[in-house]
Amino acid sequence: MEPLIGMGVLALIGVAATIAGASEDLESDVGSQSNPNSQVQLAPQMMFPHRIYNKAVSGEPPSNALMCSVGAAVATVLISEFTLSPLFALVIGSLVAACVHGTFAVTSVLGRSASQKRFKQPIYLDMIRSHTPVIMGYSFITTFCILIVSYMMTVVLGHPFPLTMLAFIWGITVGAIGSSTGDVHYGAEREFQQFEFGSGLNASNSGNIVRYGESGIRNGYDNSWFCAKFGGPVTGIAFGMTVFLGSWVTTIFDPAKGLTQGWFSVIAGVAIVLILIIWNWKIEVEARKAFGPYKEDKTEEASA
Amino acid sequence: MIDALMANIIWMAFIVIGGVLISWSVHFVPVGGAPAAMAQATGIGTGTVQLAAGAGLTGLVSAGFMMNVTKDLPLILASGAVGAMIMIAVTMIVGTWVYVYGVGCVPSSAKVKVDPITKYRQDLYVSQGTEGHGLPTVSFVSGVIGGCLGGIGGALIYYSLIEVGITAGLSVGASTSVTGNELVGIAAMFAIGIFFVNAVIPSYNIGGTIEGFHDPKWKKWPKAVISSFIATIFCAIVAVIAISQLGGI
Repeated sequence: MEPLIGMGVLALIGVAATIAGASEDLESDVGSQSNPNSQVQLAPQMMFPHRIYNKAVSGEPPSNALMCSVGAAVATVLISEFTLSPLFALVIGSLVAACVHGTFAVTSVLGRSASQKRFKQPIYLDMIRSHTPVIMGYSFITTFCILIVSYMMTVVLGHPFPLTMLAFIWGITVGAIGSSTGDVHYGAEREFQQFEFGSGLNASNSGNIVRYGESGIRNGYDNSWFCAKFGGPVTGIAFGMTVFLGSWVTTIFDPAKGLTQGWFSVIAGVAIVLILIIWNWKIEVEARKAFGPYKEDKTEEASA
Repeated sequence: MIDALMANIIWMAFIVIGGVLISWSVHFVPVGGAPAAMAQATGIGTGTVQLAAGAGLTGLVSAGFMMNVTKDLPLILASGAVGAMIMIAVTMIVGTWVYVYGVGCVPSSAKVKVDPITKYRQDLYVSQGTEGHGLPTVSFVSGVIGGCLGGIGGALIYYSLIEVGITAGLSVGASTSVTGNELVGIAAMFAIGIFFVNAVIPSYNIGGTIEGFHDPKWKKWPKAVISSFIATIFCAIVAVIAISQLGGI
């Protein structure tokens, strides 16, 4: 393939991946999925009933992998058996995946809230009606973008894996990234805003999540509004970077042109990783200077 | 059936080595589980299996792409390792952004007093009521090593399964259709399955959180590696029989 076309396709893949990452994180914020949901689940037991959509269908990676695989399987059938245009097939596949995800979300929130009846946690039907379409919308965007990435990789870049397999793998990856980056912003900051900024959650405050919003009682919308300012976009950058850099090294140094080029691509990848290690170290040093030690009295004891 | 196993004994050995490497690699990945998502424990705020699988499978995508254009085993393994390393390094650097700029806490470990690599004091920077937060340099480096080993393991399994299929008479001709090549599909599926088996076994050792190779829990790795060794032998038998019979049908 022409290097210029390869770069163009790669840019498109990177953009689609970035959008997928951002919408994946916001989907998990509005519906409260993954690890921060442990606090939402715990809150009623600590006598803090709330109005936050409590859906943890499963860990984020399996749930996203399921969504993307369902979408890709439907799209594959439509493309290969019904010779439908790929764009239509990907949209219909994503639509089916969003419906499947919506079903899981509703059953999950009803089941979870109902099981907390003894802790006086109400089931807000209006909240379920208003939040579920948003969750489905986000999951549609995520699935569609992942399918675009997988389709481009299979058909244009000539990756040997079938569409469904690639969609499954990218679903697992986007879930793992969303759960480890953007969700921290939701779990460590948004859920515990009433405590002082600049520290981790004290274990004794577990379950004491913020229940009042900027206006009225806080719900999932408020959480996604807040996380859309930082957590969502950085998740998008993370997934976009993963997909882009992973393919970029082999596009710049095409291994099809010879073994030397292949090894150059490996060296380029290792160089990127080394740069990231140094960057992390710089941020660590900066943070230590900016925030200072938390336990000054103990320092004196230690030095005395 | 026995003939098929005996003919592919070398590839089965490679699959077992790959499985053992994955099992070992999971111990390096700094995962904090649910507490890390609330900045309550050092590491990445997700589950062991999920993160290891995310990194390893990204490596598998890179290795699969590389295998499409070359047959050189060291290069395929290296590209698998690079793919996984990039994924885990990017995830950790963005995680650091969130911990430092979004949550406002210093990357620090509660398991050691000084970072073995940078020699920075850790205990003074752990906020009250937590077991550390964020990713200090030692955890970051440990995670990159984990990604590297996991990527090599996944790529080795995938390569071996493709070779088993080629021995059985299947082809890996390049295809640009959405359904892909049947051997590639089944080999990738078994590789993912074996990856998950070997990512789950060490999580019993880790028990939710591990900070990296400086964590005392890391020393427990031989138990998980032996268990993975035995489990992967069974996985390899099933995979080799299934793929070699596919060629016979």
